[in-house]
Amino acid sequence: MAKTKQEKLDLKAEKLYYKTHKKKQHYTVKDIVFFILNYSFFGIFTLSCIFPFYYLFINTISSNSLVRAGSITFIPKGIHLQNYIAMLGAEEVMTAFGVSISRTIIGTALMVATSALAGYLMTQQDLWHRKFWYRFLVITMYFNAGLVPTYLNLLMLGLTENYLVYILPAIVQPYNIILVKTYIESIPSELEESAFIDGAGHMTIFRKIIWPLSKPILATIAIFGAVGHWNSFMDSIIYMSGTPELQTLQHRLYIYLNQTSSLGAVVSGGVSGSQAAGMMEGVLDSKVIKYTISMVTVIPILMVYPFMQRYFEKGIMLGAVKG
Amino acid sequence: MKKIKRQSNGWTDRVYYITRIGTLLALVMMFFPAANPAYVSGLINKNLSLFTTAISYDSLTSLAGRPLRMGWVQSGDFVVLMIGAAVLCLGIALTAVCACMSLGNLKMKHVGNWFGLAGTVTMFGGMAGIYLAYQRFCATDRPDKVYTTKLENGEYINEFPVPMYLFLALAAVLLISTLVIIVCQPKPNKEDKYEIATPYKLFLFFLPIAAFAFVFCYLPLYGWRYAFFDYNTGETLSWDKFVGFKWFTYLFENAKTRSDIINVLKNTLIMSGLGIATSWVPMAFAIFLTEIKCGWFRRFVQTFTTIPNFISWVLVYAIALAIFATDGFLNNFLTSVTGELHEVNHLLDANGIWFKMLAWGMWKGVGWSAIIYVAGISGIDQQLYEAATVDGAGRFQKMWHITVPGLIPTFCVLLLMSVAGILSNGMDQYLVFENASNKDAIRVLDLYVYQIGIGGGLVPLSTVVGMVKTIVSVILLFAANGISKLVRGESIM
Repeated sequence: MAKTKQEKLDLKAEKLYYKTHKKKQHYTVKDIVFFILNYSFFGIFTLSCIFPFYYLFINTISSNSLVRAGSITFIPKGIHLQNYIAMLGAEEVMTAFGVSISRTIIGTALMVATSALAGYLMTQQDLWHRKFWYRFLVITMYFNAGLVPTYLNLLMLGLTENYLVYILPAIVQPYNIILVKTYIESIPSELEESAFIDGAGHMTIFRKIIWPLSKPILATIAIFGAVGHWNSFMDSIIYMSGTPELQTLQHRLYIYLNQTSSLGAVVSGGVSGSQAAGMMEGVLDSKVIKYTISMVTVIPILMVYPFMQRYFEKGIMLGAVKG
Repeated sequence: MKKIKRQSNGWTDRVYYITRIGTLLALVMMFFPAANPAYVSGLINKNLSLFTTAISYDSLTSLAGRPLRMGWVQSGDFVVLMIGAAVLCLGIALTAVCACMSLGNLKMKHVGNWFGLAGTVTMFGGMAGIYLAYQRFCATDRPDKVYTTKLENGEYINEFPVPMYLFLALAAVLLISTLVIIVCQPKPNKEDKYEIATPYKLFLFFLPIAAFAFVFCYLPLYGWRYAFFDYNTGETLSWDKFVGFKWFTYLFENAKTRSDIINVLKNTLIMSGLGIATSWVPMAFAIFLTEIKCGWFRRFVQTFTTIPNFISWVLVYAIALAIFATDGFLNNFLTSVTGELHEVNHLLDANGIWFKMLAWGMWKGVGWSAIIYVAGISGIDQQLYEAATVDGAGRFQKMWHITVPGLIPTFCVLLLMSVAGILSNGMDQYLVFENASNKDAIRVLDLYVYQIGIGGGLVPLSTVVGMVKTIVSVILLFAANGISKLVRGESIM
């Protein structure tokens, strides 16, 4: 949120005031002990959140023989990118990556568009039996038919072993619809009314006024929806057991992590020449492959993470005050 | 824009109810395998709906590999059947257009009628195609393989699909009603515009959304019927397999499932209980975090402690392997420090698995859960703290007497929600961390349902467990909501 000029000036003046007027604080011993404990607790906990990613990363870029010997603990040695290049040739991994990316993009786009439209319609008093339809949507949040009936339902619809099972069931998200509806209700209704008077129809108002004005909330649900899509693997495990080429990256990773036999075939499978395959086999062992695929799975999240952050508070607070 | 009001066009408007209800019926039947008029041979999967028949040649011929190779049936037979089904579906779609347009003004209805007429005629055409395919299947020289039913005297007959009569009747009714409307409806004025009354127009926009919600949220409830039948995956349901509440009692009478259920419930309640008992931790985390006055450090902590919340449980498991497995960081580190060889796979150690799961859950979630409390703290009036300082309150007194009471409302809501969700601790975490040595202690209700239902194929039993779980959860939710209303005067739902 951009601060106005006046606010910035005020802030500056305030800081200046504190600099000149504030007495130097005297900390007691108790205070200092508290600070040390507090800072070190948060420091250690934060490190525990960063270090695993760092550890995975340095093990994927270090010399593979050193990794196999287990001598890479804090500092990378013999840096190279061979492992990641090998992943580009691993057909299974790349297919799974494509499935994950495409379901994330398509699924999120459709979910956001639907939530926006449904949220807008739910604010329209004119909608035929609006209250009934609103309840119709809201009630679905509080019950769940259960895993097996859901599975049999999708089986009946012919959606198992089918790419659409990632997209279709996740399009209508009542919770997100409520968030959008609440947000649209906070937009001054005069905007809408004046557009009506100027002769705009519902869809024009939706496209030209509601959609642009509710972008913050749409961005929030888009981010959470995308993360959900990227991370979901139960649907792949349940519905795609017989179709390996449609399994998501998370599911692939899960399979590889649990595979006790050598994973060399994963990388060499996609490389055309047998010579190249032999070379890969020699360089990569299962541990490195597992680490590298883990990194491939986590990198997209880490890349969008900085953009997500500013929507956190908005998202979680809206969640708390949904009406 | 003026709001367009509904207008009446005489008694023919009422006839449209027949069109709408009939179309809705046909649309729903299109997706039910039991109502598939294209089931014209024993070679066709019984679990195929009309819609799937129309769009997927692969699933249509999934059982017919050998008969096709042996020449008992021709692939042309299936193609005719598929085209017939597709035409029938197209006809239903056209009548659906008519049903939607019947919500408009007279001019709109007028055009819609012709869609309706075209739709019903197309439906008849599609059924004729299916009938043709039926005859071709009947003409096979291997009735024992191709026909649907075997009689008691050993003869085979190819039964004509019963749902076909239903569709015939529907199409006939739709045709008659459409003709009646076309003949009796007043003619629209030439200069009229195509219009739909505003409430209906908005409703038509909403219709696809409602359809999705119905298909993916309400339709699964229809699967609860499996709880009352003897059913194996792939079979079709019939009334002679109806067993009433057998599976409900089986759950407790069978010694194996009873001990399983007790064990699973114990795990579930203990792990949820631990989660609830530690639900104050994010609040404490937030309170101490705001005690950090150094701005960049606080942001740094907040940024990096929320990352784990955004990775999947599979990745958490990957991290667990990288750190705690035999060739993981911990062993390598200890080996290099002590000089002795450490080769323990800590993940195989089943001791205290409940607490380990709690710890992983905390590691993943605490930073994220704290955000709501951090936001809550920034909403507390600063004057309260200043006043307390003047009165000589210390750091912890301020926390306890100002911050905590300010956060308690949020805390209560979250606590009640987690009490309502006591039976649903999700299964991702437990699925990925499960292994041979800890599987008895880690198996929670959701995981159990998955394992017996999808893995073990015990459909009725897992449906029963899921059903009971859902009902209990809903009751708990309403109870929690009732408590919240009583105590705080606010609803949490």
